[in-house]
Amino acid sequence: MIMAVSVEPLVVGRVIGDVVDMFVPTVSMSVYFGPKHVTNGCDIKPSMATNPPKVVVSGHTDDLYTLVMTDPDAPSPSEPSMREWVHWIVVDIPGGTSPSKGKEILPYMGPRPPVGIHRYILVLFRQRYSMKDAVIQQPATRANFNTRAFANQLDLGVPVATIYFNAQKEPANKKR
Amino acid sequence: MAWSTCTATTSCLGGGGGGVNAWSMMSLKSALPSIPTTRTPSLRFPLGPHSPSCQVKFTHRKTPKALLPSYTGLSMQSTLPSFGSHGDSTSFEHNFIIIDNGSRFFAMRHGKKVPKLNRPPDQRRALLRGLTTQLLKHGRIKTTRARASAMRKYVDKMVTLAKDGSLHKRRQALGFIYEKQIVHALFAEVQDRYGDRNGGYTRIIRTLPRRGDNAPMAYIELV
Repeated sequence: MIMAVSVEPLVVGRVIGDVVDMFVPTVSMSVYFGPKHVTNGCDIKPSMATNPPKVVVSGHTDDLYTLVMTDPDAPSPSEPSMREWVHWIVVDIPGGTSPSKGKEILPYMGPRPPVGIHRYILVLFRQRYSMKDAVIQQPATRANFNTRAFANQLDLGVPVATIYFNAQKEPANKKR
Repeated sequence: MAWSTCTATTSCLGGGGGGVNAWSMMSLKSALPSIPTTRTPSLRFPLGPHSPSCQVKFTHRKTPKALLPSYTGLSMQSTLPSFGSHGDSTSFEHNFIIIDNGSRFFAMRHGKKVPKLNRPPDQRRALLRGLTTQLLKHGRIKTTRARASAMRKYVDKMVTLAKDGSLHKRRQALGFIYEKQIVHALFAEVQDRYGDRNGGYTRIIRTLPRRGDNAPMAYIELV
């Protein structure tokens, strides 16, 4: 099912280029942090994102999807020496459901940007075959992750959906 | 339906048709300002080499200042959903941006040499210095659109000074940026980062307006 979602916000925000390559979105994915629905480039407070978001993936129930959440601006957008920092990897998500029904390779870690405004990107791939029996290694470290290499390693191809949001360190005193 | 658009626009014209019961497109068209693309029937553009002279005659007749005659109406904002709950959906005020320069809204930038940022010159300089310092420190900052587009020149200037790399340029940069570690870090890393790039070291991404005063915001980041 082809959705009329444009990838322009991803190109403008340099998500396509830094993390993934150009693709055509074929699956619609909605991400909710509590009551807040995530749109491309919106601001999410780290305090709201300590728990994994509710992700609703459209698609056939017999399709399996993989979700990866990374931060390409670690530790700081002006010097991303640890690009990318991976926050969450879930495989075997059946279409039309949420990542809780999938197999979590890497447990969720909330955004904690030390310096500057970081982009947090959720990429969804369609799996060609089930990975229920495969033993997938957790990455040795969360830093210096490469989404493209990971997709090649698991033979996932190009993404089918991507969404990103921004987050920055919250000030210690509550402003408003 | 045509009815709903009639009521929307005439309501913002201050209820001029107080005694009118029936809305009709004729009264609406007469109430709205005429768009200058309408030509008087007597003016004909002959083909060929005479048209430039006729063009000159036509523009002389327009008001010299504004392309659109100033009107008390408000201009439609682009289609953004209303933020928060704006109570009654029949009020359309929040869909329009207020033009506060005496209703003179220009599509062009004629004569605007320097962005003043609503500040006297010393404060303006301090603001821009602070903003460039923070951008070079954090890599991406969120600020208003006017400030972001005013900053670009100064950030590019700093990166150009760093690309040159000599002592004189370093001291010039130290005189502009507030924190000296940032200058030293910039001079150290700019060659491998921007060595190939000629200019355009920033990128501006527009984003949602600020909640407190609906100011249009933007992210500005180092490319």
